[in-house]
Amino acid sequence: MNDTKNPARDVSRRIFLRGAGVAMSLPWLESLPVWGASDAPKKPSATPKRFVVQFMGTGISPNNWWAKGEGAAMELSRSLAPLEPLKTKLNVINGLFNKPSVGIGIHPGMTGGILSGASLARGAVLHGGISIDQVLALHLGQDTVQPSLVLACEQPLTGYHESNFSMAYSSHISWQSPDSPVPTEVYPSLAFDSLFENSGSRRLESVLDRVREDAASLRRKISREDRGKLDEYLTSVREVEQRAQKMRSEMAKAASNAQGKSAPLLAMKRPDNGLPEDIRDHMKLMCDIVALAIQTDKTRIASMLMCRDLSGLFYPFLGVKDGHHLSSHDDNSEGYERITRHYVTQLAYLAGKLDAMPEGEGKTVLDNTCLLWLSNMFSGSRHDNSHLPILTVGGLGGELATGRVLSYRDKGDENRKVCSLYLSLMDRMGVKLSAFGDATTRLAGI
Amino acid sequence: MRHNFRWNVYTGSAIASTLALPVALAWASAPRSAPPDTARQELEKQFAGTVRPFLSAYCLACHGKNKPAAQLDLSAYGNMASVTRDYAHWSLTMDRIGAKEMPPSGSKMPTSAQRDAVIRWIRAVRQYEASRNAGDPGPVLARRLSNAEYDYTIRDLTGVDLRPTKEFPVDPANQEGFDNSGESLTLSPALIKKYVAAAKTVADSMALTTTGLAFASHPVLAETDRDKFCILRIVDFYNQQPTDFADYFYAAWKYKNRAVLKAPGATLPQVAREAKISPRYLDLIYKTLTDTSDNAGPLARLREKWNALPAAPEAAREGCAALRDWTQGTRTKIAWRFGNLKVPGEFSTGGQCNILWKDRQYANHRRSFNPDKLQTGGVPATKTIPARRRGGQEQPEQTVVEPVDPELFVPAGDAGRAASLSAFSRFASVFPDAFFIAERGLMEFDDIYSKGRLLTAGSHNAMGYFRDDAPLMELILDAQGCRKLDSLWMDFNTVASVPERMHLEFFFYERNESRTILDPEFHFAKSEDKGNLAPDKIKLFADLYLAKARRNGGDETYLGVIQDHFQRVATDIPLTQRARRAAEPMHLRALLDFAARAYRRPLAEAEKTELLGFYKALREKEGLSHEDAVRDSVMRVLMSPNFLLRMDLEAPTSPPPASGYPPSPGHSCLVGEGGSKPLSQPLDDYALASRLSYFLWSSMPDQELISLAAKKQLRKPEVLQAQARRMLKSPKVRALALEFGGNWLDFRRFEEYNAVDRERFPSFDDRLRQSMFEEPVRFLTDTFQNDGSVLDLLYGKYTFVDTNLAKHYGMSEVKVPEGEWVRVSDADKYGRGGILPMALFLTKNASSLRTSPVRRGYWVVRRVLGEYIPPPPAVVPELPKDESKMGDLTLRQALAKHRMNPACASCHARFDSYGLVFEGFGPIGQRREKDMSGKPVDASAPFPGGPDRTGLSGLRSYVKEKRQKDFLGNFSRKLLSYALGRTLQPSDDSMLATMQKNLAANDYKLGTLIDTIVTSKPFLNRRTSIISSEGRLAKP
Repeated sequence: MNDTKNPARDVSRRIFLRGAGVAMSLPWLESLPVWGASDAPKKPSATPKRFVVQFMGTGISPNNWWAKGEGAAMELSRSLAPLEPLKTKLNVINGLFNKPSVGIGIHPGMTGGILSGASLARGAVLHGGISIDQVLALHLGQDTVQPSLVLACEQPLTGYHESNFSMAYSSHISWQSPDSPVPTEVYPSLAFDSLFENSGSRRLESVLDRVREDAASLRRKISREDRGKLDEYLTSVREVEQRAQKMRSEMAKAASNAQGKSAPLLAMKRPDNGLPEDIRDHMKLMCDIVALAIQTDKTRIASMLMCRDLSGLFYPFLGVKDGHHLSSHDDNSEGYERITRHYVTQLAYLAGKLDAMPEGEGKTVLDNTCLLWLSNMFSGSRHDNSHLPILTVGGLGGELATGRVLSYRDKGDENRKVCSLYLSLMDRMGVKLSAFGDATTRLAGI
Repeated sequence: MRHNFRWNVYTGSAIASTLALPVALAWASAPRSAPPDTARQELEKQFAGTVRPFLSAYCLACHGKNKPAAQLDLSAYGNMASVTRDYAHWSLTMDRIGAKEMPPSGSKMPTSAQRDAVIRWIRAVRQYEASRNAGDPGPVLARRLSNAEYDYTIRDLTGVDLRPTKEFPVDPANQEGFDNSGESLTLSPALIKKYVAAAKTVADSMALTTTGLAFASHPVLAETDRDKFCILRIVDFYNQQPTDFADYFYAAWKYKNRAVLKAPGATLPQVAREAKISPRYLDLIYKTLTDTSDNAGPLARLREKWNALPAAPEAAREGCAALRDWTQGTRTKIAWRFGNLKVPGEFSTGGQCNILWKDRQYANHRRSFNPDKLQTGGVPATKTIPARRRGGQEQPEQTVVEPVDPELFVPAGDAGRAASLSAFSRFASVFPDAFFIAERGLMEFDDIYSKGRLLTAGSHNAMGYFRDDAPLMELILDAQGCRKLDSLWMDFNTVASVPERMHLEFFFYERNESRTILDPEFHFAKSEDKGNLAPDKIKLFADLYLAKARRNGGDETYLGVIQDHFQRVATDIPLTQRARRAAEPMHLRALLDFAARAYRRPLAEAEKTELLGFYKALREKEGLSHEDAVRDSVMRVLMSPNFLLRMDLEAPTSPPPASGYPPSPGHSCLVGEGGSKPLSQPLDDYALASRLSYFLWSSMPDQELISLAAKKQLRKPEVLQAQARRMLKSPKVRALALEFGGNWLDFRRFEEYNAVDRERFPSFDDRLRQSMFEEPVRFLTDTFQNDGSVLDLLYGKYTFVDTNLAKHYGMSEVKVPEGEWVRVSDADKYGRGGILPMALFLTKNASSLRTSPVRRGYWVVRRVLGEYIPPPPAVVPELPKDESKMGDLTLRQALAKHRMNPACASCHARFDSYGLVFEGFGPIGQRREKDMSGKPVDASAPFPGGPDRTGLSGLRSYVKEKRQKDFLGNFSRKLLSYALGRTLQPSDDSMLATMQKNLAANDYKLGTLIDTIVTSKPFLNRRTSIISSEGRLAKP
């Protein structure tokens, strides 16, 4: 085993990372040299595009959700006010809907297909469709430690709603196959680990390391001509392993390089085990992790269920006594407006973070990203999902015009499908599909 | 890489793979120390005297050292040994010279005598070598599992047909056209990454149960998927249980009438076994039906009806169904119903305490009855409809008088009443109102019959499950069944963390649905915080909740239910956690078992230690959870070369090889220049088991093969034959039909075939395509399973159809149940039978808008008869693409014109006729009288040495007379090559001759070929390994 031993394995990155956290001064493009990559510098065209979706359950505060005007002159309603500094990078999109989820019963039936446009099956055996973030992960996720991050600030439910839809639909917006949602990570510490430590490449390395030992021991028992085949196996395994190692060692090197500089650091300590006491801290940590993941190119795709549909979260700090769901039944109230604004604040926080990371000539990471924010209803008091509140922030590398207020309410049902928006966004991420969900056409004017 | 093409020694067929294996076709020349070999000397002499000069005169100008044409350098061959090493090229050379394709026209031409002399010599070399090395196992390279083998192996390893290679690139085929040999199966980093993804798919589909490892058809990671997996196992188990009263009534009737039914000796347990019902419950039912000591109430009526069942079995059967309906109806009338508990102030009847209490009431009363439902002296009871709140509307409690019902009559007098009550009691106990509850609606609203929500406790929104199957356990299941059901529920609790999650979702409901715990003192109780599962937190919450209920004025009953609830929570959660921990060692044992089955042999002690060490390192050094560590260990097994590669290891006890080794250093050939004959040695027993199972099943050996290997019995010829026969009968032999047949006849990828113009042929849809694909698979599978004749493939008058094919074939008189396949014995009536007129081949070998006699004929001659046809020259005039636009010519006339060109005729004459006879079948294999331009079809064609032949029958009779030997030879070669996992070589000639002889002597039964192959030397042995200095057989 000596000949195949990788000296880098002797350093326990776990201890290093747990102790020091991750410190990173530079975003993706500029940081490549810091990371000690030996490859020739990448061309600017290689700047990756990212996609993050944030979901809030049970609708917004309808009377407090509007925007007027364009660009810097845009006027925002109270609930959208947190996005004030980001107006030029914002699109407020009204009037889109997800037709298969309309008129089939409230709550879970309105949620499980929100990112797939699939019709959902009632009863114990779930069936929906693969969601936009997972389609993107499938096409674009190979080059990163994690194809996608799927986070949630609430545990999934699996009970039944009276509409006979499983509550799992209320809990999962990201689906890896029509039959299975992606398991969500609720704990910030574990989400953090999934990027930097035991999962992904690190675990793959452990496996490959061992199977190479198998091959080495087999090699002694087999004939010379069979050895050719075994060597083919061995070389292939080694190459895959080396790629994984490289990814990690670049990470470690970048961390140590960055620490040695006095450049402004984005530092993140590994979150503590367990759950933050305060939901505000929880959500902020989740946003920090997504920002860090994007900055260090650990993933380019993330989905964040900030709260479920039929959420169990409650907000004493907003002066609201009832939990989320019951509050939504009075959605024009002061309380629910504050709740709505709280979720828009999370979007603004994440967007602001990405906007503070320079990337390329006068641009920021946010400019190469699309943050999609949406809810499964427009109004919780009326359980109305005939049109949805949708926001995007970020320009996808200039592919997505911003600073606009778009309304599709009067364009006719065929021309206001949310899946058409998904097709358009995927196009701009370089994933061109002929159809998605219930849509076969792109969204006009996006 | 020396040449960019390879040719088959036998058929000379070109292969797609550019992989050149210099060792693959080499075999030995005379032993170094052998006595002078006159035959060899003569051949050497001829080489120097005849062959070399021929090459120099006619070949080397193009095929010389300097930029050899087709990269074939004939100048490199200096003696006979160099020729034998590269015989494949010489076989090709012989073919091309013999066909007068070489030297090409326009160059200097040899005389016929010169040609013949060279051809004779090349043949003689072959015969010489073939006889010397007969039985040589040949070079069988280590190889990875093919995609198909990987999928079948995962299916047999996990019990679930996961097909993880769906997204893999298509495997390349070897020279014989099969994708199961080391010659063509290569590995690359890209493929390793695919294997990683495949291994992860398998590992993610695993559940860690309380007894070991189980696999699902979907990932078992997200909680809803964990629920689904466990729930479906339980519900499937429920639904498999014999709980239909009618079956028991009928079995009891049969037993009572056993003498009349001519089974006077039958016992009750026997009758139960035959009827596949519970002996235990039948015993109880029979006693209940025949006992007369308590003949009152429903029992009296039941016995009366049962005793009055008609004498004819079928009528009795129907009577039993009616009796079941009566029993169930009566039983339902006297079943208990339960209302909600009275809950105080801010508490809700939708909360877990009330719901689970209600569930428990029902569960505890399945075998008793509600006496209030009885109508004493014929006076009906009153029914209370509890108050309910639905859709925001309050409905007050209502009281209604139930209708008079004679079934519920109870005498008013004391004695009669007591006897009747006792009968009701026994009736209710023997016939529970339900054996199990698999589905419920919302319990708060007494919706106990709703469907679709499996095993739910009946709670709203919040997750909750409840087990209610005591009657099944008490009455139907035997001890083993009870244990099984218990363990399925325990699995549910542990795999899906049911008690833990129910407790966490308690908070969700009580805060968000019922608003019971909005007070700040409950703020710590968040569903996301698993810290709330600690005993002190459970107690803290229970105390606060109880205190609030008390403050709200809860009555003693309700307070008791709350206390009882939290006591259960405090017990069940640690119990589940303990069970989960207790199962950990079982998972590790299961992991070792999994690895042994994956490696297709027992693990060495060191391997066990290593695997457990890996698990331990993941836990201790990497901090993974038990479950993650087991999943990674499973991935590690599936990524191991021991699983991914098939290496025919030699038997460990075999003696070191005799002298003659090692060959000259640096030589990649097994046998050196003028070296000895290749030595062979028996395969290791487990390797033999694998060879057998991958041959017949394309999958891993089953337990029976492995245990025979362990006992060293497998290699006995009679055992091998018996096992092969057993395996041929198995449904798994479908893989042989698909992987061998599909590649031999070139239809393996037909499921993706898209060259049919569906607008012109609307009847060709995906379903018909799938049916077409199935036909040869079913036909071949049938031939394997029933030891059919190989000749049936050609001459068989039968085939297999489903509704789609029957319609396509116009088999209007054939009755095919929807979704099934039937054998049509008189398919010849419809122009079908055997493989030749199957729609698949006629379609695949046609163009989209016309037939293609060229391709159909080429397919018959090349694939079925095994004849080598050289590839067409680069410039070939195209035939019109659309049959309806042929102008004045028919397709046949256009072809005839094409043949007038002599350069085309030499080949086309060899196969056009074989295709023209199929002109009675259109482009999608449909029968037709006229072609697409409206001209009548003519299915006649000239064949050498005789009259024209017409249609399928004409072709068949011609083949029978002139080409049957070619077919049998080709089939045998293909099967042998597939079985051995390598391209054939001259030393296999004697084996092929034996196969022909045995076939002829055994009515051409296919099993004969299999018997011959699996007991042959090449199958049982491998070439002796040369193992380098690191290894055991170091430097003799």
